[in-house]
Amino acid sequence: MKIAYSHLVEHIQDKPTIEQVSERLFQLGHEHEIEGNIFDIEFTPNRGDCLSIKGLLRDLAVFYKIEFNQKIYHEQLAELNIDFENHSKYICPQISFLKLKIDKAPEQYKEYLENYFSDLCINKNNFFTDVSNYLSYETGQPTHCYDANKINNKLVFHELDTDEEFQTLLGKKIKLSGKNAVFSMNKKPINLAGVVGDMQTSCSTQTKTVIVECAYFQPEAIVGQSVKYDIQSEASHKFERGVDHKCQNEVLRRFIQIIREHTKIIDMSIKSYEYIEKSTHKIPVNHHKINQIIGIDISAKDYIDYLTSLGFIISNDLITVPSFRNDIQTQNDLAEEIARIIGYNNISRAKINIPKSHDSNHNAIENKLRFFLLDNGFYEVINPPFVGQSSDQSIKVDNPLDSNRQFLRTNISNSLLDNLLYNERRQKESIKLFEISDIYTANNDMNKKRKLSIIASGRVGLNYEDFSKKINKKYLETLFKKICPNQVFDYKILSRELLDTKLKNEIVSLEIDIDKFSSSILSYKEISKAPLKFNQFNPISDLPSSFKDISYLITDDSKIQSLHELFLNYKNEIIKNIYIFDYYYNQKTQEIKIGFRVIFQSMKKTLTSSEIELIYTDIVNESLKIEGISIPGIQKDL
Amino acid sequence: MSEFNDISPPELIKERGSLHPINHMKDHIMNLLTSFGFEIIDGPEIETEEFNFDMLNIKKSHPARQMHDTFYVNNKTNLLRTHTSPVQIRGMLEKKPPLAFISGGKVYRKDDDATHLPMFHQVEGIYVDEHVSFSQLKELIYQIVHSLFGEDIKLRFRPSYFPFTEPSAEVDILSKEGKWLEILGCGLVNPIVLENCDIDCNKYSGLAFGLGIERIAMLKHGVTDIREFYKSNLDFLNQFK
Repeated sequence: MKIAYSHLVEHIQDKPTIEQVSERLFQLGHEHEIEGNIFDIEFTPNRGDCLSIKGLLRDLAVFYKIEFNQKIYHEQLAELNIDFENHSKYICPQISFLKLKIDKAPEQYKEYLENYFSDLCINKNNFFTDVSNYLSYETGQPTHCYDANKINNKLVFHELDTDEEFQTLLGKKIKLSGKNAVFSMNKKPINLAGVVGDMQTSCSTQTKTVIVECAYFQPEAIVGQSVKYDIQSEASHKFERGVDHKCQNEVLRRFIQIIREHTKIIDMSIKSYEYIEKSTHKIPVNHHKINQIIGIDISAKDYIDYLTSLGFIISNDLITVPSFRNDIQTQNDLAEEIARIIGYNNISRAKINIPKSHDSNHNAIENKLRFFLLDNGFYEVINPPFVGQSSDQSIKVDNPLDSNRQFLRTNISNSLLDNLLYNERRQKESIKLFEISDIYTANNDMNKKRKLSIIASGRVGLNYEDFSKKINKKYLETLFKKICPNQVFDYKILSRELLDTKLKNEIVSLEIDIDKFSSSILSYKEISKAPLKFNQFNPISDLPSSFKDISYLITDDSKIQSLHELFLNYKNEIIKNIYIFDYYYNQKTQEIKIGFRVIFQSMKKTLTSSEIELIYTDIVNESLKIEGISIPGIQKDL
Repeated sequence: MSEFNDISPPELIKERGSLHPINHMKDHIMNLLTSFGFEIIDGPEIETEEFNFDMLNIKKSHPARQMHDTFYVNNKTNLLRTHTSPVQIRGMLEKKPPLAFISGGKVYRKDDDATHLPMFHQVEGIYVDEHVSFSQLKELIYQIVHSLFGEDIKLRFRPSYFPFTEPSAEVDILSKEGKWLEILGCGLVNPIVLENCDIDCNKYSGLAFGLGIERIAMLKHGVTDIREFYKSNLDFLNQFK
């Protein structure tokens, strides 16, 4: 909610700066951003009482001397003769109507009313609606204005189950559905209670006689309505969070006062209904309990002073909760009030001793498997469970984000296959992935299984021993023999037939329930460790990469080291990776063959072959300066 | 032996894989908390409204129930848990105080943009004993945040609102750029929740806290788009060894 600093500070005697008010708002729990001179405050849903100038000043009163004495009309008022029936008194236990006729709408607004619109950049509508909107901002209580000439029959408040069309006063057409609390006339809903009125009966610039309705609605009857019909409604935001159930009469008298300050009132009358009297809530005085909850030691006097400053009334060992604070029920609620006033950051820390639980060795087998797979070059991935395709055991999401995410996956393999293809498109030559996740299925009953799934394709590795070996079913079998020699798993080769890919590498996959692994795998000693630090992420290029291979013939083996170092130290921003993919020592000829693969990729552009050639030539020339090495097919250029 | 027989081949680099940075962060936080004395418990991702909302004092009428944009399954008989808090309820129904549980895992909300995903991860903790106070909660949160971000990090506690804690707080840390960043929510367990779990709230009180793993991982690794975590891009994953 946007509240102007100037609208607050004019009522604060101490005249704090915007930064000082900001700091106090944070202390009170009113998270906000400052835009120019406007606080954009995100009030927590329990603090409906703060959604106004008056409400926020009540909270700030614990720090500042506040002068907020808005004039209200005190004179006796005639009783309004209104034909009204309430069929849902629980939802609307209090309601008041004010009928008011003016001579003419003012040409200019008083400064305070004008400022509300200009400071907060709010569009004006018509005089009565403008006053109603301002009043909601000032007092926190929404009111609804009907054009009295358009109310020509009995007004009924009731809960209506209907699929009728309804046009809001802003012109939006909605189709009602389910139960709605509404005001009806001639059996037609004319006001979606607490949310928005209809176009037919609303005020216009021509309106001279208005019926102002001011009510308390039970939050549960209003909650969800604005979301359901996709209507932005300041009023429903307030009713959902609960307004002051005792303020209706006073608010209407303030309405009269504002009108009086702008134009001549010809006639007015009022009618108030209170069907169910809401009792005030009382909590026993217990400052020891508060000290215990917070872990502080404040005196009984401070305790009483703090609560009094927030509007609580204390007498006979009982604390009366003010009618606007429907969020306060228990001693813990009071403790939060006291803690806010002291300031959470001013409460000192106290020693805490949590009794040690015995080591449970949580997920030991699963963690052992993870590190075993890491040792063998597998990367752990996490996929969301939502998929578009169902199987006979799929659980359906009732309200999916879209049709591609309307079921819960019944296996992990398909997610991993997508991940594999994604990395193949990024020209990865060796892809080994795994995921561990709970998988939910339904026949009649809900079924939960914790599963390990792995997928692999391409080269076994990029080092010179593994480079020429291709991943196949045998590779996975051999791998798992290392930790579970006696178990037979159902390794799968996934067909590429229906996949959008030209690659031919075998895709092998395995999906298995974690509880199929016995604790014997715990004897495996892993090499990999969880990282000790949290590496800074470097942005990734989404542009294509390419590679160049350079193969050397070496007769003087002492030069291997120099050559290797040259490659390790060769830096260029378009070189992404360099590795030795080939190494062969021929004992007969005593010659060494060594091959380096250089991967090129730019962050900025797709590389041209001449750009790559330039770097390649430079590496070749640099390397051939080393004595005793040659590149078959390339003349030493000396 | 000729000297050629002694030539040593270049170092054979066996590529190791990496833990997913989110799982690594989750493990890291869970390990830290178990070292404080917490015991790890698990619960289902498909929950009931009773455990996900009602037992946690999130009433049907409450706007907080709207705040959680919930995925429902099985014709609304079940839902995908919107937080890990229902696991604490299950734990409290099984064990009597003193108790100290943590649980971590996937949670779901109907969101999808650069900072929110329909699936994300949380770690939550609860400690119930005699005379657990807000000032003890503060001490615990300081210990957690100091372990994660270093002893020099500046913290700020702000009053907040969760139906299952009272008083409630949100905790911010001060970034290098001088901005306050929200990193966790916490509070004293609402006595109503203790009563719901048949724990005598006159004798016992509790503290609870919850952290969003993605948020902390993003801060620690300098990742700015949450979606990076779930592309399964090897160029991303291999940076976290």
